[in-house]
Amino acid sequence: MTKQLIEAYASQAESLHGILAGMDDVRTSAMSSFLEQGFPGTKNEEWRYSDMRAFHKKHFELVSGKSGIAIPEPLGDYCARFVFINGRYDEESSDIGQVWKDISIRPLANHFMANESRVDELIKGSDSVSLLNTALMRDGLVLSIPSNVGIGRPIEILHVMDGSDNAAAHVRHVIELGEGSSVSIIERFVGDDSAYWTNSVLQARITENAKLRHIRVQEEGANALHTAKAYVNLGGGSEYICTNVALGGAMSRFDANVRILMDGAQATVNGVALAATGQSHDMHTHVSHLSGNAVSEQVFRTIADSRGTTSFQGKVTVAEDAQRTLANQSFKALIFDKTAQANAKPELEILADDVKCSHGATVGQLDDKAIFYLTSRGIDPETARQMLVSAFVAEALEKVDFDDVKTSLMGRIASWMLERNADKGTGG
Amino acid sequence: MLKINDLHVSVENTAILKGVNLEVKAGEVHAIMGLNGAGKSTLANTIAGRDDYTVTSGTVDFFGKNIFDLEPHERVGEGLFLGFQYPVEIPGVSNLNFLRTALNSIRKYRGQDDMSAADFMKLIRAKADQLGMAPDMLKRFVNVGFSGGEKKRNEMVQMAVLDPKFAILDETDSGLDIDALKTVAAGINAQRRDDTAILLITHYQRLLNYVQPDVVHVMIGGKIVKSGGKELAAELEEKGYAEVA
Repeated sequence: MTKQLIEAYASQAESLHGILAGMDDVRTSAMSSFLEQGFPGTKNEEWRYSDMRAFHKKHFELVSGKSGIAIPEPLGDYCARFVFINGRYDEESSDIGQVWKDISIRPLANHFMANESRVDELIKGSDSVSLLNTALMRDGLVLSIPSNVGIGRPIEILHVMDGSDNAAAHVRHVIELGEGSSVSIIERFVGDDSAYWTNSVLQARITENAKLRHIRVQEEGANALHTAKAYVNLGGGSEYICTNVALGGAMSRFDANVRILMDGAQATVNGVALAATGQSHDMHTHVSHLSGNAVSEQVFRTIADSRGTTSFQGKVTVAEDAQRTLANQSFKALIFDKTAQANAKPELEILADDVKCSHGATVGQLDDKAIFYLTSRGIDPETARQMLVSAFVAEALEKVDFDDVKTSLMGRIASWMLERNADKGTGG
Repeated sequence: MLKINDLHVSVENTAILKGVNLEVKAGEVHAIMGLNGAGKSTLANTIAGRDDYTVTSGTVDFFGKNIFDLEPHERVGEGLFLGFQYPVEIPGVSNLNFLRTALNSIRKYRGQDDMSAADFMKLIRAKADQLGMAPDMLKRFVNVGFSGGEKKRNEMVQMAVLDPKFAILDETDSGLDIDALKTVAAGINAQRRDDTAILLITHYQRLLNYVQPDVVHVMIGGKIVKSGGKELAAELEEKGYAEVA
């Protein structure tokens, strides 16, 4: 990193001292670790498919205020909606409904103040982008679901960027599920056309027999950069079901880091990524089976149009003691022409002997025979392609349990396909 | 209804059809018989509009229109149906969704409103029942995991629901046991009316025992070399193509 960049980030972190009580020391140490590492380059195997060039060139700075961008309609019925604009909680456009009666909702500041003595262990992430998030976080939600409380409708956390070029938002959410509780979180990201950066971290602790559904919808503005992490710890018999949908931005990356700590847990991490011309979406998973009798499933479906790129690096590790683990991973990519790219890198690291693990990765094109079959029944070619694309991604959206949310997502995928057809002129 | 005049078609620069002439009128059932490689399927696919078939000369007139001016789905809107020799599997698309989209696409082409979900379900249940298709097959993905016979039965259900004016059935009888053959024949006969026409493409006389054609054509080397009544099929079966032609 250049001296200028180092100074810019260091002074930004310093300016945040006092903003989140109990955080100052943690910030300072995260910033110095970040400055040692710098942003990852393409030689870093973990980051080889993520185009990080912009980060090495310019400083993305925290911004204040909002310019009054229209807040989009929710994806579906919700029980509460929290809106963050430019990385700050926006009370005016949020709707906390009645859910506060059942669960505890706190701002990030209070969370760390209340746990000052163990902030270090509460904060997740040691890679450079997470460290920067720790050093520069200003806001976020802390949701605690009491034991045996089930929240039916999802909670939508909407992130809106309407800043300017080089604006950055570093948000962090903490979700804690008490024993036997359940909740559904939709994290959604939207923004204007400026070249901003969203850097988000969600950390979740799912205790015994609890269940977290996590739906991520990344529909950032066309020039945005998006990096995000989920750090999830699973207790005995608990369940984590994540569906990541990457649609927007110029470059996006999502890392799911899931640790199965106790027996009998289930982890599902699914994803859909659609890359139009010039877009790149990178999805990483690391599911660690540290305890046995647990199941992990991963289904990823991606589509890349001309000069679009989708990448998937999926790692499953099974510790020596994690006997009777079941782990499946399936990655399928469609590419629309020779300039489109799909990268897949499945990794299995198995130390236990009584396990069933599988992975598969395929890259192909839309089936011409299927298109002709559909058109030979009267369906126009645009609709035929749209049907095949919807069918292709459907498996990865299967775990989105809310019909209205699923319909919204399928609608976005259908219109993405219509735009592709329009780009290529009639008849595709 | 359909009039083919001196049709020449190539596939990857190899001439397959070398001057086909054929006219099919409303109310008629024609059968084209011939050995493998005679060009029967090429004729069917060219009429349906598969894009790897190149028409080098000749015309196909369909209800007064030049069929080559129409996209494949528009030909269907005008009343065409092709029963596939090898029906395609489409994972992720249910039979119901497929057929409903197809029917409403055709209705849209004809300037009609979408059929309501309730009316559609009534229609498709009735047609599936007539053709002996179990209701749960309708919910399954198109042809995925279907046996050969089930796939052909599915083609017949599609034909019954879409109700084409002109159907080409490409080797619909191949690979079927006798029960499946009877079901397919029943599907064809149900579609046989004064205002419809059917073109059967087949190797064998077997299907023609259950569906009596008005005219039988013999195709050899990309041309129709002989035409006659239904007795021609029996003659072919008995004496073989070489002697009859």
